[in-house]
Amino acid sequence: MRRFGRTLIIIVVLVALTSAILSFQEIKLGGFERGGDTPLGLSLGLDLQGGSHLVYRALLVDPQTNEKVIVTEDQMEALKRTIERRVNASGLGEPIIQRLGDDRLLIQLPGVSDPGRAKSLIGETARLEFKRRTINVPVELEQLNQDDIVGVTADFFPDLLTSADESTATTTPEVSEPNPLVLMIDFTPQGAAEFQIVLDRLVDTFLVASASIEQGNSPSIPSRLDITIEGETQLRFEASPLMILQLATSTTYAFAYPADRETGNVPTPLEAQAQIGLNPRVFFTEIQGQADEDIGLTGDDLARAFPGQNQTSGIPIVNIEFNDRGTRIFGETTSDIVLKQQTTGVADQIAIFLDEDELIAPVVQTAITAGTAIISGQDFTVERVRDLALLLESGRLPIPIELIQERDVDAILGEDSLAKSVVAGFIGLGLVLVFMTLYYRLPGLIASVALVLYSGMVLAIFKIMPVTLTLSGVAAAILSIGMAVDANILIFERMKDELRAGRTLLSAINIGFDRAWPAIRDGNVSTLITCGILFWFSDQLGATIVQGFSVTLAVGVLVSMFSAITVSRTLLRVLGTTGLTRRVSWWLPSGASDIPQQADTPVAQRS
Amino acid sequence: MNFVGLRGWFFIFSALVILPGIVFLIIAPGLKQGIDFTGGSTLTLEFSDPVNQTDLRAELANLGHSDATVQQLEDNVFFIRTKELDEVARVAVLAGTEGNLSPNGVQQLSFDLVSPVVAGETILNAIYAILAATVGIFFYVWWAFRNVPSPFRYGAAAIIALLHDAIIVIGIFSILGVLIEMEVGTMFLVAILTVIGYSVNDTIVVFDRIRENVLTFPNRELSEVVNLSISETIGRSLNTSVTLLITLMALMLFGGSTIREFLLVLLIGVVVGTYSSIAIASQALISWEYGDFKRVILRRPVEASVSS
Repeated sequence: MRRFGRTLIIIVVLVALTSAILSFQEIKLGGFERGGDTPLGLSLGLDLQGGSHLVYRALLVDPQTNEKVIVTEDQMEALKRTIERRVNASGLGEPIIQRLGDDRLLIQLPGVSDPGRAKSLIGETARLEFKRRTINVPVELEQLNQDDIVGVTADFFPDLLTSADESTATTTPEVSEPNPLVLMIDFTPQGAAEFQIVLDRLVDTFLVASASIEQGNSPSIPSRLDITIEGETQLRFEASPLMILQLATSTTYAFAYPADRETGNVPTPLEAQAQIGLNPRVFFTEIQGQADEDIGLTGDDLARAFPGQNQTSGIPIVNIEFNDRGTRIFGETTSDIVLKQQTTGVADQIAIFLDEDELIAPVVQTAITAGTAIISGQDFTVERVRDLALLLESGRLPIPIELIQERDVDAILGEDSLAKSVVAGFIGLGLVLVFMTLYYRLPGLIASVALVLYSGMVLAIFKIMPVTLTLSGVAAAILSIGMAVDANILIFERMKDELRAGRTLLSAINIGFDRAWPAIRDGNVSTLITCGILFWFSDQLGATIVQGFSVTLAVGVLVSMFSAITVSRTLLRVLGTTGLTRRVSWWLPSGASDIPQQADTPVAQRS
Repeated sequence: MNFVGLRGWFFIFSALVILPGIVFLIIAPGLKQGIDFTGGSTLTLEFSDPVNQTDLRAELANLGHSDATVQQLEDNVFFIRTKELDEVARVAVLAGTEGNLSPNGVQQLSFDLVSPVVAGETILNAIYAILAATVGIFFYVWWAFRNVPSPFRYGAAAIIALLHDAIIVIGIFSILGVLIEMEVGTMFLVAILTVIGYSVNDTIVVFDRIRENVLTFPNRELSEVVNLSISETIGRSLNTSVTLLITLMALMLFGGSTIREFLLVLLIGVVVGTYSSIAIASQALISWEYGDFKRVILRRPVEASVSS
């Protein structure tokens, strides 16, 4: 028994793992999420499970006359293909997309738990826009001028001041330390109101920036305020809006006093006051973190977008290709950006928006006039690149569509009919187990146990991968179960031969396995080869049904080989070392005892 | 039992099964394509009375739409796909369902022509994929049997058996298409893939025994060895197919009606696949060895006979 200890432990661990995977409806480990409210949490195709039933209508309007234009069949077909590609690439499962009448599209998606995601992916309103983004644009605030300012002073931050914004309270220093030096500008009431508007606008850009970080996007650049004070000497500094505090119920705003640029020291109040002088002139400039400029480039100008890899580094990238118009505009813009960077050192970006949401804002590295560009990023993953390409693509539906119907729908094969078939499947499997046990007795019983484990393992793997199970998957599963049964039967028949030849039980088990192995191996390997070729070809040709079949069959065959070699074999050997060996009749197929006389001959010849 | 001696009869029997199928496939409209491939009409019906899916499906079958798919949208509202309905057929569906299922009325919420679910080229692509897989199997079997004389023949014989099985199933369905309007959809395609997988696996099991026996008894006639191998493996062949047939029969009898066509293909496939391993694949090896076909064509006398 000790000899099989390791294998037995592996089997026990696998059984535990399998039952754990199958018994939890939903599995969440960090970013890894599997399962759902389907039976055993398996992901099922539309034929086995219901889903969403969406009907869209093409909405083609003449831009000049605003009249509805009749869509052609080609346009509908193009629309259908675009949506098909988009849904297939998203992993939402195999959809059914059919043209309905002249101008409608029926889309059924399997078990969509998040209809919002499905709809946004199908992209009824998606509008893709490319904008030129200039970084840190100074905008002089002319509305704030000398007339709005009553006075400018420098002093330690007074204790009576309270912050205008609760969130800035943390900047208030500890009691033990002296308050920091601040510059205080006293506005006229009208000036203060003007200034508050500017301040609010600046704070907003900070909120947007921090939100974009929280969402995991590349952070946008917040705007700041540039203040120039021309007193005895010129004092110019940049203030973040969060560091500007309003004196409660007053028209005075306090700014952190800048340290000396060369020494890094903050001056004393006296020095500061001397710097400012008595009647300084103050100029405000808003430094806009980023300013987006429309360049007239939209999803219509995009030919296609697809995920790829950097040829040398292998890092995922997004490839984009423009049509003629897009190539021209994109070329002009990028040439201009590069020129500007060479002359001023300011590197503008191209910001890409989908329905006003920023997707990404890549930096332009060279002038791109050929109409093909790649977007790369340090943190790009295969998944991010795929989603980006999809979203870029989704900005260019050939014709606009509107959702006119949305409902839930049940499985194509019918829930009632399927429920019956599942029961029937269990009856069938049960009968097989009974047949094997009655005919092959103890080995049959062991094979039945192995078969149940096998079925569980296959389902667990389907759930983890995950494989979307459709009827073609079920067919593959039936075939692989058939092959698993066959492997067991092959082994038992060989065992029987060896027992007849007068071997001991344990050696009959071992030799039976060895003799049956080439047949099992060749049968399974040829099936795996078939799966590989079917998968590759159907991937090239786009026959998704065949693809699903080959993946499920391959998984099934691999597990079936494992189950026959490891599980059945180890269990048989373990039992072969127990007292059960004395009951030889339990190990022989039924009816075997009365065959030997005729069957002995070939065996005798062989030895 | 002398399996090898019966090979002439096996070949004649297979030919008798295959020929009508091929005739129907070529002369008749061939395989009747189902609505997955042809498109058709869709109806959304709302019934005033409680109607369940099974009854509705049965009623549609009654009206000649056994290929219809029925999906429930909400209680008593169903989305139905059928082959293209003309005005008469549409009215017949409404009248039939109203008469037998919902006396209080049926309301047609929508009626549209609909395009195919699966593009026609999918079938062609699947056939290319299958042919490529066949080539792969051929080379693997050739390689796996490299230790026996003429391993090439084993690969070829396995492919002959595979094609034999696929053609019989397709032929039977084109006959059924003419006789009972049986149509083939995507399920049929999947079922054919399954039959091919089963056929190869079953053939290899018999071949494996031939391989073993050829190496054990190098001096025996091939016909004798093949016959011995078939006798030794027939128990396992029958048991394996019996277990599969048990499962399929259980599904046929107790399962839902929507996968009957699919199960029928598998059922025929399992029977044919088991038969062909013994009666076609193995016998093809013998015929090749003894030049049967040359002999039949040139009317030469028998060169080798089977002793048993």
